[in-house]
Amino acid sequence: MFQNNREGLALALPAAVFTAILFLLPIGMLLSEAFQVDGHWSLRGYLDFASKPLNQTVFWRSLKLAGLVAMTSAVIGYACAFCIINLDGKNRGRIFGLIVLPLMISPVARTYAWIVILGRTGIVNDAIIGLGLSDTPIRILFTETAVFIGLLQLFLPLMIISLISSMENLPKDVIAASRVLGASWLQVFTKVILPLTKDGLVLGGTLVFTGSLTAYITPAILGGSKVLMLETLLYQRVNVANDFVSAGVIATILIVMSFGANILLKRIAAIRS
Amino acid sequence: MSNAFVSLQKLSLAYGSNIVVPELDLDIVEGELIALLGPSGCGKTTTMRAIAGLMAPQSGRIYIDGIDMTRMPANKRGIGLVFQSYALFPHLTTFENAAFGLRLKKLPQAEITQIVERGLRAVGLDRLADRKPAEMSGGQQQRLSLARSLVMQPKVLLLDEPLSNLDARLRLEMRAELQRVQKETGITMVFVTHDQSEALALADRIVLMNNGIIEQIGTPDELYGAPKTKFAADFFGFENIFEVEGNTIKGAAQSLPLGFESTSKYLAWRPGAIDVGVGNFSGIVRGSAFAGEQREYIIESKIGQVHAATPAADPSYKIGEEIVFDFPQDHSLPLAR
Amino acid sequence: MSSKWTSRIIIGITLTFLIGPFLIIILAGLSAGDFMTFPPDGISLKWYLKVFTVESFRASFALSMFLAVFGTIAALILGIPAAYAISRYDIPYAETIKTIVAAPIIVPGIIVGLALLRYLVVPLGFTVTLALFLAHTALVLPYAVRVVSSSLNNLRGDMEEAAVLLGCSRIGAFMRVVLPNIQSGVLAAFILGFVTSFNQVPVSLFLSGPGVRTLPIDMLSYMEMTYDPSVAALSALLAFLSVIIVFVAEKFLGFSRYV
Ligand SMILES: Nc1ncnc2c1ncn2[C@@H]1O[C@H](COP(=O)(O)OP(=O)(O)OP(=O)(O)O)[C@@H](O)[C@H]1O
Ligand SMILES: [Mg+2]
Repeated sequence: MFQNNREGLALALPAAVFTAILFLLPIGMLLSEAFQVDGHWSLRGYLDFASKPLNQTVFWRSLKLAGLVAMTSAVIGYACAFCIINLDGKNRGRIFGLIVLPLMISPVARTYAWIVILGRTGIVNDAIIGLGLSDTPIRILFTETAVFIGLLQLFLPLMIISLISSMENLPKDVIAASRVLGASWLQVFTKVILPLTKDGLVLGGTLVFTGSLTAYITPAILGGSKVLMLETLLYQRVNVANDFVSAGVIATILIVMSFGANILLKRIAAIRS
Repeated sequence: MSNAFVSLQKLSLAYGSNIVVPELDLDIVEGELIALLGPSGCGKTTTMRAIAGLMAPQSGRIYIDGIDMTRMPANKRGIGLVFQSYALFPHLTTFENAAFGLRLKKLPQAEITQIVERGLRAVGLDRLADRKPAEMSGGQQQRLSLARSLVMQPKVLLLDEPLSNLDARLRLEMRAELQRVQKETGITMVFVTHDQSEALALADRIVLMNNGIIEQIGTPDELYGAPKTKFAADFFGFENIFEVEGNTIKGAAQSLPLGFESTSKYLAWRPGAIDVGVGNFSGIVRGSAFAGEQREYIIESKIGQVHAATPAADPSYKIGEEIVFDFPQDHSLPLAR
Repeated sequence: MSSKWTSRIIIGITLTFLIGPFLIIILAGLSAGDFMTFPPDGISLKWYLKVFTVESFRASFALSMFLAVFGTIAALILGIPAAYAISRYDIPYAETIKTIVAAPIIVPGIIVGLALLRYLVVPLGFTVTLALFLAHTALVLPYAVRVVSSSLNNLRGDMEEAAVLLGCSRIGAFMRVVLPNIQSGVLAAFILGFVTSFNQVPVSLFLSGPGVRTLPIDMLSYMEMTYDPSVAALSALLAFLSVIIVFVAEKFLGFSRYV
């Protein structure tokens, strides 16, 4: 550790100042705009926003989908992470690589694939008609289901990675030991695995929840204007109506919820332990 | 004072508000091998780092070879430091590690090659010149770290616990190595250790530190034979240290008459100095251990625990047995504080 | 042995869900017909070839490349010293500085784009390209700091002190001793930053002007207008590119530990 703090500060400040001026300052200005209506400080922007049924729908839908995606990915994530962690070293590395891989691929490309799968002439509809379950194609695209599937595919790897890294710290034989002591698998999970991987779950949960909540690409491609979420609504408000007050309100909601989810999940983890 | 090669004057060292060394004065003669000895956390490394210039003192002065080095940057002091962790450069070969400082001096290549080869030969690493540190044993890394400093011909070489990461056999080997290098080069060396036997075996003089304060400076003979303080006596194996007043010895629970008069605050005895089998004191044997030439006892008595030792040939006492003993005047060590 | 099979099935299903769609999109791009269907109407390479002839794709690809390369380099220039200061110095307000630098990861990108448009581009006359460059730099910065920090933390600090005592200046010690030993971390940070920037959509959404569009934004607007398989082909090509980058990075850097 070097003692010359001024030197250290000189090294660290450019990055901090850069982010503060080019990033935090404009965002702060944007957020404050939501509190200004016709040049006055007021909460009217928020009240107006909250009073519109469309906005309410979008708000609750975003929360619901983000929550659902987080929970589903936790369930799949635990099963999958547990299986991966029990593989031998070489296979584990390979599978882990395959899980990480999608994260490196353009989300536009990742989401676009679902159009081919879920579209009117897509694989799923071909199968449904082929099996005689329906005469006409059913609409899957531009429904909440499609957005849900897209988001799950986009963010599941984050959950799996978080869980795997917390499971790597599990003492080697705790599971075998608790089985020997007579615990059922459910008990092993709730009494042993869950408490010991809590941090991973909280991290993964936060990443997936905030990621889904603030997603743009997936609802834009798979939801369109029928299934608006907060970010697509924001885009629409600005582009269609030049409505910067609503934009500021949505931005505030997004930021508060992103940070809020972070803090809340940390709290929950703290209470549990 | 005038012949001091390294002189620390009223040096005060702190990390933030945590004052580690309040005020330290130390003079080192040119060519000396000094051991900085003391328990963990007493400020040995901190003192070293201050001499090397890696940390600025709060106040006080550092003179080396008559020059005030207090504000001199570390890279201009010409001081070598062998780190406890070796601090080798993992991306460079043995040769390049050793050549690192010489290259910075912009010496001609031929000269660098010559100096480095000689330096590596001196520590027995000439065959490993192309290895990377990760491919060498702990002892080899240690010697490379030493060679890297030595080729710079530093005015002073500081070594932070140079032997502590080595196994017992290598430690003995490195001890000999250090002594030989020091004889051959005549470089003034200061090494840190918390192992008293290492300090006694190697050093010309020992600086005994405790809590950032120098307890005593002296030759190994002086420190081993005549420690001046309670702490020093304790450190050098005087296991029986008791407070005395006139002719009474003050135990934890009770004071008892001593067979003679004393004017010092404490008296100390090594275990072997305690008379066993005769005397005015008695206690119960609580521990007994055979240690080759002698048998050591831990005795519980009215003035507290007493450590005694008898020649192995003498009749032995069992645990729980009563034992009488005495504190003889002629092997007692008076301590002022 | 049944638990082994259960485990294989679970992993298999998950991987199919995560990676299967890419295989489908590769095939969909091979279609000989004019519309997206699966299975494709016949096989041809025409859509894969067409991608290279679409003028707007070429322009937006160039812009995305420019942003990803230079934005990431700028982020590293800012981020490496910051990471070094955080790991080696006891600087005041270290936590605040860390939080500020990490903020771009947490703040939703669309807000960033909008804020920059409204307060830099419109009133101050910044060009959209410059605003995009700044936004991408800020966005990549947290990754650069995080990845470089983690490799600095794996490197013992006493090496620099040893170099200084052998005569190096502080900067010299950094260049000669630190940099060579965090090379792979810096490279990993570059790749992660490059990929993040290249794939970034929300930040760039509002920061698009006439003729200035990043590739993913261009793809989004192209697919709104046309339903031909060229976007599938382009997606497949991009996915393929990512796979190669990740594969090479994993091989030489053990990349996945930095993600
Ligand atoms: N970077 C630091 N920041 C704050 N306090 C420190 C720092 N380094 C050391 N200290 C404190 O300073 C005191 C002296 O530390 P120092 O490292 O000098 O001890 P030492 O004698 O070398 O001990 P050891 O034998 O364990 O190496 C200790 O109490 C330690 O906790
Ligand atoms: Mg130390």
